[in-house]
Amino acid sequence: MSDQRPYLGFGLGLRKEHYHQIAERRPRVDWFEILTENYMVAGGKPLHWLERVREEYPLVMHGVSLSIGSSDPLDLEYLRDLKTLAERVEPEWISDHLCWTSLGGHNFHDLLPLPYTEEAVGHVAARVRQVQDFLGRRILLENLSSYVTFRDSQMSEWEFLSAVCEAADCLILLDVNNIYVSAVNHGFDPLEYLEGVPAERVWQFHLAGHTTNESGRILIDTHDQPVRDEVWDLYAEAARRFGPVSTMIERDDNIPPLDELLSELEQARRVARPIWEEAAA
Amino acid sequence: MNRPLPEVQSAFARYLTERRGEAPSLIVGDEKADAEERMDLYAGAYVTRLIEALENHYAGLWGLVGDEQFWELCHRYIARHPSTFRSIRWFGDRMARFLAEEEPYREYPFLAEMAAFEWAQGLVFDAADTDRVTEAELQQLSPERWGFLRFRFAPAMQLLDLRWNVPALWQALDREETPPDPERNEVPVVWLIWRQALDPRWRPLEVDEAWALEQARQGAEFATLCEGLLEWVDAANAPLRAASFLRTWLQHGLVAGVEVGAEGR
Repeated sequence: MSDQRPYLGFGLGLRKEHYHQIAERRPRVDWFEILTENYMVAGGKPLHWLERVREEYPLVMHGVSLSIGSSDPLDLEYLRDLKTLAERVEPEWISDHLCWTSLGGHNFHDLLPLPYTEEAVGHVAARVRQVQDFLGRRILLENLSSYVTFRDSQMSEWEFLSAVCEAADCLILLDVNNIYVSAVNHGFDPLEYLEGVPAERVWQFHLAGHTTNESGRILIDTHDQPVRDEVWDLYAEAARRFGPVSTMIERDDNIPPLDELLSELEQARRVARPIWEEAAA
Repeated sequence: MNRPLPEVQSAFARYLTERRGEAPSLIVGDEKADAEERMDLYAGAYVTRLIEALENHYAGLWGLVGDEQFWELCHRYIARHPSTFRSIRWFGDRMARFLAEEEPYREYPFLAEMAAFEWAQGLVFDAADTDRVTEAELQQLSPERWGFLRFRFAPAMQLLDLRWNVPALWQALDREETPPDPERNEVPVVWLIWRQALDPRWRPLEVDEAWALEQARQGAEFATLCEGLLEWVDAANAPLRAASFLRTWLQHGLVAGVEVGAEGR
């Protein structure tokens, strides 16, 4: 397993609304992130377009169903399917979330938060090691947007994330929007978060948009809006702290025309590149 | 003393599905939102996401019953059949049966048929890809071996018995036109739903074609199809009728493989 952080440049989430345009125009996107579960199917349109995009672009796989933090046993069938898809896609890396999504055989289809306890660190890290042994590669874990703090938590979110990744020797997909959303929702300093994460483990950034709940006091990670100014500012800080990290924009709902996302991606380039060029000079 | 992780998750999960239990007592509340409001964000998102999945799978059903009825139906379905699938793509698999069994939906049997029709479209959408036998390939076989031909069919096809005009209803709703009234046929019609050029298609089958296709899928040889068609056409026309069915199946990409039975080799 390589310890060198690869740098892919600036990417987008691959969404079905854009399949045709991507194939016809070959837009200036350095790489695409696919939603793993969307392609865990037998055939048809999803795999057809996956093959076509794969011919032209590097891909990474991003899953939502690993349920790495669940008290249920690991889903071995899922892991087998994940490995099979990875053999087909040959992704640069595979990521999922530091969360749980299922319990007692039920799937909630949501990224549910964990209490930040030593017990949870040990539980998750052991499972990550199992997954990594099975896949024969390290995985990236992504930080969540969260709306609750457990009374039992013994450490900050970034300490929890760092402890899991150190104990499991896994990597980090740092979602800058999620840091911002959680910072507002829980009243912590997002810069302290950035400082608290082991830089060498951060291999990917996510950028996305968010909205608020009815009261307007809680931020909701909806991925249905353009990236907000506060998140662009935090992204600049992250770019400064971590250096060249592959960056992508994640849009899951209210999908705009491809050109809108391309211009948002240009903005990411405009924010990060001067910082990295200056640091390299 | 910390609560063990399985207990915490179990309380959290219960709140998602039942909106009650001790989960809020495990959560810190503050001036932005109290513990219950924070848990409610998760409980709300849980239901919303599952309803969105059902809206995607069952747009025709949604159109037939309207927003309020559909959402009520979704809530009931979610409570009855919570997801056991790791991919939300499969959530909703028991909708047709649910509608056929539950009051008041069972009084409107076209609802269950609509759900079955839409689910079948989903099944053919991402079923496995296969090779496709062409007419040209088949024409290379010598005529005396035709009778012994057996066929293997593509997985991306479903046969559905429908008594109601649900394909017409679906099509109108899909085009955002006013749908016709639900109409019941005296006898069920067999509909073939298959994938062609990556998209689901469908057509009603004449009763003899439906019979022939079902026989062929079960491994019947071509000669057996011709004999069976004597039920509907005379001896001179049976092979022609069978051949015309086969040509259509080939053109629609349904035939994934052929083999010549032992006696024809």
